[in-house]
Amino acid sequence: MKRIIIDREKCDGCLNCNVACISAHEEGSNFYTVNLQSIDSETRNFIKFDPKTGYTPIFCRHCDEPECVLSCMSGALEKDPKTGHVQYDETKCAACYMCVMNCPYGVLKPDNKTHTKVIKCDFCEDKPDGPSCVKACPKHAIEVKEVSL
Amino acid sequence: MKIVIIGASAAGISAAKTIKSTKPDTEIVIISKEDRIHSRCMLHKFLGHERDAQGISFVNEDFFEKNNITLLNNTTVIGLEPDKKIVKTHDNQDISYDKLLIATGASYFIPPIPGLRESKNVYGFRDLKDAQLLDTECLTAKNAVVIGAGLVGMDAVAALLERGLKVTVIEMTADIMSLQLDKKSAQAYQQLFEKEGAEFILNDKVVSVDVNAVGRGEMVHLASGKAVPADVIVIAAGVRPAFRFVEESEIKTNHAILVGDDLQTNINGIYAAGDVNGIAGIWPNAMKQGKIAALNMLGENLRYDDRYALKNTMNFYGLTTLSLGNINPEDEEKCDIFTREDRNNYQKIVIRNGIIQGVIMQGNINGSGFWQYLIKNKIDVSGINKDIFDLSFADFYGINQENGEYNYAV
Ligand SMILES: Cc1cc2nc3c(=O)[nH]c(=O)nc-3n(C[C@H](O)[C@H](O)[C@H](O)COP(=O)(O)OP(=O)(O)OC[C@H]3O[C@@H](n4cnc5c(N)ncnc54)[C@H](O)[C@@H]3O)c2cc1C
Ligand code: SF4
Ligand code: SF4
Repeated sequence: MKRIIIDREKCDGCLNCNVACISAHEEGSNFYTVNLQSIDSETRNFIKFDPKTGYTPIFCRHCDEPECVLSCMSGALEKDPKTGHVQYDETKCAACYMCVMNCPYGVLKPDNKTHTKVIKCDFCEDKPDGPSCVKACPKHAIEVKEVSL
Repeated sequence: MKIVIIGASAAGISAAKTIKSTKPDTEIVIISKEDRIHSRCMLHKFLGHERDAQGISFVNEDFFEKNNITLLNNTTVIGLEPDKKIVKTHDNQDISYDKLLIATGASYFIPPIPGLRESKNVYGFRDLKDAQLLDTECLTAKNAVVIGAGLVGMDAVAALLERGLKVTVIEMTADIMSLQLDKKSAQAYQQLFEKEGAEFILNDKVVSVDVNAVGRGEMVHLASGKAVPADVIVIAAGVRPAFRFVEESEIKTNHAILVGDDLQTNINGIYAAGDVNGIAGIWPNAMKQGKIAALNMLGENLRYDDRYALKNTMNFYGLTTLSLGNINPEDEEKCDIFTREDRNNYQKIVIRNGIIQGVIMQGNINGSGFWQYLIKNKIDVSGINKDIFDLSFADFYGINQENGEYNYAV
């Protein structure tokens, strides 16, 4: 399967990946028009900063054994057997947030506005040239690579 | 090989899925006393008329056909004969197996309070059938009494309020959801429920119920002397693992079916997963146990070590909370307690000798999944020189260079 491989050393915290993610999930939006102040603007990936360790990209791993899928009580989270990616179906979700609790890396979150959905990386499955964050990273700190399951 | 699974819920279905994706030619028969698959964690959505019965299923409608699994629904198992490898059902079927998984979960318990068990309008809130019967009652009932303000009770309260009933909640402890919350976080929810019209009677308990001429409970009497009128009564005072049908077999039990770390019972080839083995009472653990038991039935030798069960999330009226571990420590436990608050958040961390014992995050629970890992694995955080509320996975960041998965560098 394909996974976004992270090289933490290369990240310099520019947050282009965040902006790209927000804009990729907003109808008709691009880098110049995206409204970062909007409560609807949600990024699916996170950069943490610490003075000692620098910037740390926290991105969904689409885990081999996804704890989020195993905790989902509605069938909304499933690991696609073909792509290996963990996909989320908003229409099934019951907003119980057991998945938020069970992702060991703290990737998942409720949506800011309504607390009725989960915000989750979908690997930009509908975009022909792959994850938008990866394309936006000027340092190549994140790259899509094929990994064996 | 033929695997029989009793119970078609979290543990049973997760086992069946695992078996079919590992060894698709395995024959699977699932026996369930219920009519259809559903997630009991969504019963309140059914009773509140937000979703229909298919809407609270956690598998697709064609799940059994597509995976070539035989489902015997509306069929209750009444006994086992392990020496003959046979399961006996209420309608006199003898169903043979090579390996057996007991995933019968738990059932609710009605305390022996005079009038309560006898009343025809007393319901649990566990199965779709309970919610369907309550649904019918809601057409005519005006006053509902819910006994027990735990998570299940509060799910029922939310649904009954949604249906326009006047709901009175009776709870023995001083606060609602007292296993998951402390006073402050409990009160935040209590106020939200009160705003929706619920009334709470705390620190009190039911002592008797007056049953009328047609067998319905109509007045609930409390220890304090109060009396609350009821058209319908929901009992949410706890559950018991459901294993009556093994009582005449040699399977060892205490309050639950006893299993080893491989989730096998004392009888070779018979496994038990989910609420029925008493390890945990929540969905994620039942799913994971179903998976591990399934792989072991197929010949693996895996251990179930995720025994940490003091964990929950809740979401009522848009207020979300994560609750982990021991959040109300006694003085003699000598814990340090840190709290942080702002207009929308209440956070509490209980810590002893650098090891986190409990966490409450009420309000913002964004990315809070890593806390469970820290508690479960007793990770010492005392050496990390920052505000404890600012911890994240980044402080433990490790990565597998081969496949890009994260791990904890601790
Ligand atoms: C209202 C409610 C809300 C909940 N909310 C949450 C939540 O938000 N998060 C969470 O993690 N957990 C929640 N839980 C707990 C969770 O639902 C359980 O932990 C989980 O369902 C356990 O799954 P299981 O497969 O072990 O057993 P169960 O779900 O209890 O299923 C057992 C199945 O076996 C069948 N069965 C039993 N005996 C027999 C027999 N003799 N013959 C044939 N079939 C039989 C039953 O009919 C049932 O279908 C909730 C529970 C309730 C009741
Ligand atoms: S959300 Fe978390 S548990 Fe789920 S696949 Fe992504 S990293 Fe893994
Ligand atoms: S919040 Fe939605 S996706 Fe997450 S576990 Fe609950 S039902 Fe599944």
